Amino acid sequence: MTQAITAVAHDQHEHPPAGIMRWLTTTNHKDLGILYMSFGAIMFFIGGVLIMAVRAELLFPGLQLLSPGMYNQLFTLHALIMVFGAIMPFATGLNNYLIPLMIGAPDMALPRVNNWGFWILPFAALLLLIPFFLQFSGIGSGASGLGWVMHNTSLDLQGGIGVDFAIFAIHLLGLSSISGAINVVVTVLNMRAPGMALMKMPLFVWAWLITAFMLILAMPVFSAAATMLLTDRHFGTHFFDAANGGDPILLQHLIWFFGHPEVYIVLLPVWGLIPHILATFSRKPVYGYRAQVYALWAICFLSFIVWSHHMLTSGLPLAAEVYFMYSTMAISIPTSVLVFCWLGAIWRGAMTFETPMLFALGFVAHFGMGALTGLILPDVAVNAQYHNSYVIVSHFHYTFFGGGIFGMLAALYYWLPKFTGRMFDEKLGRLHFWLTVISFNMTFIPQWFAGLDGMPRHIADYALRFSTMNFISSVGAFLLGLSQLLLVYIVFKCVRSGPKATGQVWEGAQGLEFTLPSPPPYHTFETPPAVK
Amino acid sequence: MMSESNVINEHVKRGRRTVQLAVALALFVALIYTLTFSRLPVWLPALH
Repeated sequence: MTQAITAVAHDQHEHPPAGIMRWLTTTNHKDLGILYMSFGAIMFFIGGVLIMAVRAELLFPGLQLLSPGMYNQLFTLHALIMVFGAIMPFATGLNNYLIPLMIGAPDMALPRVNNWGFWILPFAALLLLIPFFLQFSGIGSGASGLGWVMHNTSLDLQGGIGVDFAIFAIHLLGLSSISGAINVVVTVLNMRAPGMALMKMPLFVWAWLITAFMLILAMPVFSAAATMLLTDRHFGTHFFDAANGGDPILLQHLIWFFGHPEVYIVLLPVWGLIPHILATFSRKPVYGYRAQVYALWAICFLSFIVWSHHMLTSGLPLAAEVYFMYSTMAISIPTSVLVFCWLGAIWRGAMTFETPMLFALGFVAHFGMGALTGLILPDVAVNAQYHNSYVIVSHFHYTFFGGGIFGMLAALYYWLPKFTGRMFDEKLGRLHFWLTVISFNMTFIPQWFAGLDGMPRHIADYALRFSTMNFISSVGAFLLGLSQLLLVYIVFKCVRSGPKATGQVWEGAQGLEFTLPSPPPYHTFETPPAVK
Repeated sequence: MMSESNVINEHVKRGRRTVQLAVALALFVALIYTLTFSRLPVWLPALH
């Protein structure tokens, strides 16, 4: 009976409309998933090109290519684009495509909101980039050059139109993220197939549910801080203006109250998908399911009470510094639970090393290095030495790239045959992995040592003693950028001429999405599946 | 096997729950935004 009713309801749009209108007007979760992921991939390459220019400037000491102002704009745009334009949209694309398939739902709960949330993104990206290009026509002073969290209050208040454009972009990105997060919560809590209890949900769905709650709590704070900055700049308020009784440190508190959970907003979806991949290629069930769910919740909670470890040199009282030091270190406990569960998943498994597994193991190794260096930095005494140095740059790239991007690449290779219905070239995939590992470490290990030696970040020039490390790092960055072009070729070749994929795709794959053909039909689970 | 009316009722109920939950979450977002704008963190003396 249910089948009959849903069949009638969807009879009129069983096939997608053709052409550009399909992509402009679609409310289908798979279409929007592809759109989100494609947008994230395009922005990944734009952000990459920007940082290539930065690394070209840093190849040798002295100023060769860029003025300091242009240098600041480029690294700021790189950071904003990579975090908000590449990693977050790609993760949102994965959730759009996979969550309904994993919980046996026909679509996301709010499909029109889903479409609206996506089409905000290109305009937000344009807002970020427009002032950068306007400066070449003599309009304005370029894009914001204040770093991705704009935490230098006096410069924020005095900056040019680039700051205003960035503020409006942040509002749009916030709207998109919040609408997407509400959609995830409603979908997961309200659209699961009968029998799909919360503690039966795949870990990726759990991770995204928790991420969505984090976005709902953190993003409005960032948006409000941006609005307050806007009113300070143009409407005569004095929230942050010390000369008129405002509190400049307040802006840092507000931004980091968002900024630290944002790190986990980026990483949690990856932590949710890695156990699936490790389990598949180890031919074992997910290890420590409940422990991982509780650890993800614990990290969610802790991420909201540690923000000031980014501000340990801003003159906090000693008691606050000690509190933020220990609370930050406490995150290592649930994080260690996750890492040991990942290792437990592969322990004595019948492992094979296909490309997704290689990237998943690469994720574990590189994220482990990011996490361990993150355990050192909140130490108050150590932080005073390393604050604003290249140690920080190296650390957060091991978490964001070594953790975030490696995880996303693992997910892309794992589900690409499901998305396209075709297998990718395994040899080229493995070559992509090894090129990425070598060039990534070649880029960021030297930055760690340059930082230990005292090289500050956010500068276009440096002392001669940092030359060797910067040269190696720049060459590594160019190789890293070039090796990602191989990914484009692999995906293109897969879509054009890859051998047909089965519904199961991988021998050990489990989950509702692998019970469907590859690629899945336009409408799926109109009749809810029976989940035991 | 559920009857046709039960299926429709379930569908309506699910739609209602979806709207209620989405509106509640949107109101929560508005509340956090307003609290931030009212400079709530300034009231936390330990941070000064």
